Amino acid sequence: MSCLLRMEGVHFDYHGQKVLRQATFDLEEGSCSALIGLNGSGKTTLLRIAAGVLRPAVGAVRLLGRPLEAIPLKEVARTVALVPQQLELPFDFTVQQVVEQGRTPYIGMLRGPGRSDRLAVDRALDLADVSSLRHRVFNELSGGEKQRVKIALGLAQKPRLLLLDEPTQNLDIGRQVELIDLLHFLRAEGITILASIHDLHLVDKNFSTVLLLSPGQPLAIGTPEQMLKPSILERAFQCPPDRHPLLIERAELYRREAR
Amino acid sequence: MAIEIATVSNTPLEVSRHERVRLSPLALIVLLTVALGVTTLVSLATGAVSISPRTIFAAMLGYQPLTEMQRLILFHLRLPRVLASGLVGSGLALSGLLFQGLFRNPIADPYVIGSSGGAIFGACIGISFFSQWSVFGFSATALLAFAGSAATMALVYSLARSAGKTNVVTLLLAGFAISIMFTNSSYFFELFDKTGTGNRVLASWLHGVIGIPSWTELGVSAALLAFATVAALPLMRTLNTLVLGDEYAHQLGIRVEYARVSIILIGSLMTAVSVSLGGMIAFAGLIVPHVARLLLGPDHVRLLPVAALAGAIFLMLADTLARTIFAPSEVPVGVLIAFVGGPFFLYLLRKMKRSYTV
Repeated sequence: MSCLLRMEGVHFDYHGQKVLRQATFDLEEGSCSALIGLNGSGKTTLLRIAAGVLRPAVGAVRLLGRPLEAIPLKEVARTVALVPQQLELPFDFTVQQVVEQGRTPYIGMLRGPGRSDRLAVDRALDLADVSSLRHRVFNELSGGEKQRVKIALGLAQKPRLLLLDEPTQNLDIGRQVELIDLLHFLRAEGITILASIHDLHLVDKNFSTVLLLSPGQPLAIGTPEQMLKPSILERAFQCPPDRHPLLIERAELYRREAR
Repeated sequence: MAIEIATVSNTPLEVSRHERVRLSPLALIVLLTVALGVTTLVSLATGAVSISPRTIFAAMLGYQPLTEMQRLILFHLRLPRVLASGLVGSGLALSGLLFQGLFRNPIADPYVIGSSGGAIFGACIGISFFSQWSVFGFSATALLAFAGSAATMALVYSLARSAGKTNVVTLLLAGFAISIMFTNSSYFFELFDKTGTGNRVLASWLHGVIGIPSWTELGVSAALLAFATVAALPLMRTLNTLVLGDEYAHQLGIRVEYARVSIILIGSLMTAVSVSLGGMIAFAGLIVPHVARLLLGPDHVRLLPVAALAGAIFLMLADTLARTIFAPSEVPVGVLIAFVGGPFFLYLLRKMKRSYTV
């Protein structure tokens, strides 16, 4: 499999505070990776760097082998889509109008959207299962619906790599499962996925790779079994091993397997 | 007139709440163009000396020539003023639309955020010190009005934006401070003004009085506004994307800095044209885009022509009222609009507090 995105020794400081240290990893085309770590460990920053919104102070980011900063903005936008945590709109845009913005990297200054753009928007609405909401006002949607519309907006960019910042945050468990199903579906469609996930319960069975960020430490990468060991989580999340149900549960699991 | 009712979700129960009755843009443009014609005619006919629309029509078709007196009133007094008020209205509505998109905020009006104040200040410098100068046929006064407006907008923008968001309170306070500073600095220009002509111009500017411009002045203003509108056209789609936020726009391939500077320059040109013809008129740039948005939705591509037409109609009607309501005295149109626009502004502010602040 070919390497879609590569980071090499990426450092980033935010207002003098060390956010990212030694982030080095490859994202294989077709993989589905979870990005986990403490609050403030730089998950959002890493995703923004991967999308080209932020530039690292030190280190290199390569998209399909080319340095990210050397690729024209529009071309990056046709390859990578970032679905941020928050989207607040000051005006009453409909879902369709919001998703149409995803075609921006394909539309010239003077030419309006054409047939291929309309088709791409329809397909994105379909994939994210929000076609029935297309004439609703975005600001009036529920949290789960908004999340899906944001994903549709990203899909309208026809990206090869979809970056999602906490897509399951603020969703009830039913909507979380729906969202994970959507990610599986998109992966089957050939889209590479990197999502920061807060709820570690969702990581185990659903992702092929786990990227772990700990404050001030180099980024660690491995399979879910390797990265979700209680000893590792304990340190990375600065959590006593006997206090959180997740850690107790994982410890139990590993003990059983060892036997 | 074609009214399309957007059918919404599949469940009929929800339809009533989310149904949006939005007009088709083309129908609205046709309607507004007709309305603009009618408004022009009514405005021409109304005044101290009433000249009926029938007389005007008859003269236009060559049935019955106008009397010398009627000709004088129509072509030297009323027509220039009616056209000027149309240009002022279009300019304010358009710059309001642009700035509202740029600041991601429906209360960004060229007066409220200090753009008009900056233009006045620039124009004052022009009148007081460089009244004889001109560059490429544009008077120094007009150029300085544009520069003043653009510089103010750049300043207010850099003050009110932090981390990709507009702080509404900072935006309003910065605009307020700059407006007060500039309008009061006019006192100094009175000191320098020896002839007293600048003084009168200034007094009417501060209250928003639409004067009777020369035909050259009208021509230049119309050309500048047309240029600005055409230049704004390709930026409307960009404004839609900028509404998602700076970072979003960047990751969608928009060169945000470049777009922002273009919008500030074009919006300032529109403000400068309006201010040089009609002075400081508050809230017109607020009301017109807001009502247009209610009718058409927030897509800037559709809003641009509608705001231009509706702005012209709004100010023509307002100015006709201002000329006639207390005849034979005249109220500055800026004062008249302030009485309608003020409460409207407060209403928007209150509504905003509930939904999306900062």
